[in-house]
Amino acid sequence: MNAAHLAHQTALRLKESDARGMNATLHWSREVLDREAARIDAAPAGPLTGVAIAIKDNIVTSDMPTTCASKILEGYLSPYEATVITRLRAAGAMIACKANLDEFAMGSSTENSAFGRVQHPLFPDRVPGGSSGGSAALVGAGVVPVALGSETGGSVRQPAAFCGVVGVKPTYGRVSRFGLVAFGSSLDCVSVFGRTVDDAARVLAAIEGLDPLDATTFDRAPMGQVAGRSDLKGVVVGLPKEYFPADLDAGVRAACDRAIARLRELGAEVREVSLPHTRYAVPAYYIVNPAEAAANLARFDGVRYGPRHVGPAGDVRALYQATRGQGFGPEVRRRILIGTFVLSAGYADQYYRRAQAVRRRICNDFDQVFASGVDLLFTPTTPRPAFKAGAKSADPVQMYLEDIFVAPASLAGVPAMSIPIGRDEGLPIGGQLIAPRFAEGPMLAAASAMERMIAAEAEVRA
Amino acid sequence: MTIGAGEVRHVAQLAELAIAEADVPALAEQLEGIVAFVGQLSELDISPDELAVNLGPDQVRLRADVVAPIPMTRGPGSFAPLFEEGFFVVPRLGGMAEE
Repeated sequence: MNAAHLAHQTALRLKESDARGMNATLHWSREVLDREAARIDAAPAGPLTGVAIAIKDNIVTSDMPTTCASKILEGYLSPYEATVITRLRAAGAMIACKANLDEFAMGSSTENSAFGRVQHPLFPDRVPGGSSGGSAALVGAGVVPVALGSETGGSVRQPAAFCGVVGVKPTYGRVSRFGLVAFGSSLDCVSVFGRTVDDAARVLAAIEGLDPLDATTFDRAPMGQVAGRSDLKGVVVGLPKEYFPADLDAGVRAACDRAIARLRELGAEVREVSLPHTRYAVPAYYIVNPAEAAANLARFDGVRYGPRHVGPAGDVRALYQATRGQGFGPEVRRRILIGTFVLSAGYADQYYRRAQAVRRRICNDFDQVFASGVDLLFTPTTPRPAFKAGAKSADPVQMYLEDIFVAPASLAGVPAMSIPIGRDEGLPIGGQLIAPRFAEGPMLAAASAMERMIAAEAEVRA
Repeated sequence: MTIGAGEVRHVAQLAELAIAEADVPALAEQLEGIVAFVGQLSELDISPDELAVNLGPDQVRLRADVVAPIPMTRGPGSFAPLFEEGFFVVPRLGGMAEE
C-alpha cells in the first residue's frame, strides 16, 4: 500500500469512528495525513512504513495541537515535537491523529476529558478505561493498528484490558519522556497499544533508547526485535496471591484460570508468590502522584500557554488563580489540592515521606520475588471488566481503586503489559505480565506465545 | 482527620487555584475521603531510617553542562497569551502602585 492510499484509508476510518460518536480523537485532518503521506513516500522505507499510529494528546506534535484534553491548553500548538514522534517518523510511521484522554492523564475511564467522554469501542454505554482511553478505543475499533499512550499508574494497561487490545508499559527510563507533558515525573512512561503483541513490540523497538533530552533514559543495548518462542519451557511464572482476592470478579477469575492453564501447557513452571505491600500501592500512589502533579502543573498559569483569565483583582496572582480555576477540570483541581496538601508544612512527613518509604518497600517486594528465581509475574490487569459510564464518577476513591493491580508496577518502575485473555458476556478481559527491569524482551516473547495459543484455541472453537 | 472549609481555602491559596465558594463543602468532603483513604499507610510500622530523605545512588550520572537550545518551529509569541518585545506580559503585582 502506498502512503497516499494509507492516508485515504486512515481518514475514512477516522471519519467513521467520529461519526458514530466514539469521541476518541481530539485532532486529525486530511491535510496533515496527506503531508505525512508525502513525507513517507519521499523517505526510504523503515520498520514502521505503512503503519498509521494514533498519539495520546499529551505527547507534543508540532503540526497538530496538544491540549491534554484540558481547556487550559485549548488550541496550544507546540513549537517542538516529542522525541518519540521524531523516532516514529524516522521509522516510517504515519502520525494519524491526536487521541482523547482524561484531562492531563488523570483518570481511569476517560470521562474526565474537557472535550467529552470516550465511548468503549464495543459497548458505547461503557468506558474504555483511562487515562489513554482514546488511544485504546481507536486500536480496539480497528481504526489504527497501534497507538501511543502514557502511563503514570496503569493508564495504558487498564484501557488495553477494557478494550481487548495489547498494552505495554516499558521500564521507567527505556523510552524518552521529552515532549510528554509532565504529570508524575518519577512515574511517567510513554507506552504502547497494539492489536497484537508483535505490533506493540515493533513500535516499542522504534521509540526506545537513550535520549540526551531526557536525563532519566538509560544507555543500554536496544531491545531490538523480540524473538518469538513457541513454548515457555524453563520459564518460572509467579502468581502473586494478593492479586487474586476472594472478591475478584468471577469472569476475570475464570479467564485468569484459563490463562494460567495455558501457561502450564506452554511448559512454564507456575508457582504462588507474595508481594506483601500490594494493598498499600494505591494509597501510596495517590500521595506521590498528586504531589508530583501539583508541582508539574504549576507551570499552567496563564502566562506562557493557552487562554488566560484575569481575576477580579487584576493583579498577577488573580491571573494565576482565575486561569487555573477556570482552566482545570474537577479531577485535576482535586489532585492539585491533594498534592499541595500532602506537601504542605506539617503534613509532608505524615503523608509524602511515608508514601515514598512504602514505595521503596513495594520495589523491594518485586526485587525479592524476581531474585528468588521467578522470571515473570502473571495477574489480572483489572479487578473487573469495563464498567458503565457514570458508575464511578461520584466517588474519587472508588475510581482510584480501579488501579489496584496496575499501580504497583508503576511505583516500582518495572515493565508490565496487558494482553487479552478472554471475554465475559462479550466484555474483554486482560491478563497482566510483569517483568524485572529491562526484561521487556522475555516478557513480550512470553506474551506472544500466550497470544498464539489463545488465537489457536479460538480458531478451533470457531 | 477532618478537613474543613478553611483547610480547603488555605490549600487552594497555596496552589494558586480559584475555587467557587459553592464548591468548597463538596471539595472538603471529597478531600477528607481521599486523605482518609491514603491515611491507611499509617497502619505500617515505618522506621525513621525509612523516612529519611533518600539521596539516591553514590554515583549519579550527570549530563554534560552544555547549553543546547531546542530547535523551535515557532516562537513564544505564537502560543503565549500576551507576548511583546521579547517578553511574556503579566499584570502588575498586587499592592504595587501604578506608575
